[in-house]
Amino acid sequence: VSTLDLGPQLDQLDAQQKNLTDMLRAMLEGQWQGAPPSLEALLYAQNPTYVGQVTPRTPLLAGDAPPDAEGWYAHYDASTVMPPQPNEWCCSACALDWVLRATGAAPEHTVEEAIAEIGYPEHINPTYGLMDGSGAQLRRVLAEEGLSSSQGWLSFDTVYSLAGSTTGCMSGAAWYHWVGFRGQSGPDLWIANSAEGYQGVYSILSRADFNRLGPFSVVYLEH
Amino acid sequence: MGDDTDARIAQLQTQQALLTQAMAAALEGRWQGAGSVEAYLYAIAPDMQGQLAPDPPSYA
Repeated sequence: VSTLDLGPQLDQLDAQQKNLTDMLRAMLEGQWQGAPPSLEALLYAQNPTYVGQVTPRTPLLAGDAPPDAEGWYAHYDASTVMPPQPNEWCCSACALDWVLRATGAAPEHTVEEAIAEIGYPEHINPTYGLMDGSGAQLRRVLAEEGLSSSQGWLSFDTVYSLAGSTTGCMSGAAWYHWVGFRGQSGPDLWIANSAEGYQGVYSILSRADFNRLGPFSVVYLEH
Repeated sequence: MGDDTDARIAQLQTQQALLTQAMAAALEGRWQGAGSVEAYLYAIAPDMQGQLAPDPPSYA
């Protein structure tokens, strides 16, 4: 075979090699069947005699896997103990610490760690408690622990609904007190209260309590 | 054969070897990371770097 004769053959080999490379790419990118640039289409281009002769089966792809729907909710224990708060100003840290423990995000978490993570004394201190009543710093700490959250000034009905499917922290402006919310209890909210009895509220927050002590800033977890 | 032809054949041989290794990686379920299909693709076609959107088979 002369050198001149090899040119077209090498060109064809080049094209086939490129096609094989594209086939690998299609496999890696999960394009197994259908229109180009799927593996199936490229295979037929490589060898047209395969048309109608192969029975493609697409594997289960990583992108098809269901999202981690369970996440923290699979580990959530609404009955997680809420100890009495160690001082008058750290209710927000107690509520945050409770959420981190109850969700399993940080099972061994402590109130002292929560105070440090919120940021003492710029964001939480003995004079004012939590400085930002919206809970922005609580959300930041939750995010740092891998928990996505949202915040809103919500109605009782909205919080009651949320309590059926998630948890979080909330603070009544007239209450000046943060608690965790565990879930629903009949028509009421079941809360994790580090100052049981304060303003007449223990572990249950009724609609009347909510209206008396609000409005409420609610930081609730997403899942 | 001329030098150019020799070079092209050598390149094809190298690419074929890489393709073969990539196929073996696919067979073994190594799609990303060291010694993976993705890695061999970058070796075969460096211009693919940053262009791929892997969605490999799931073995879970």
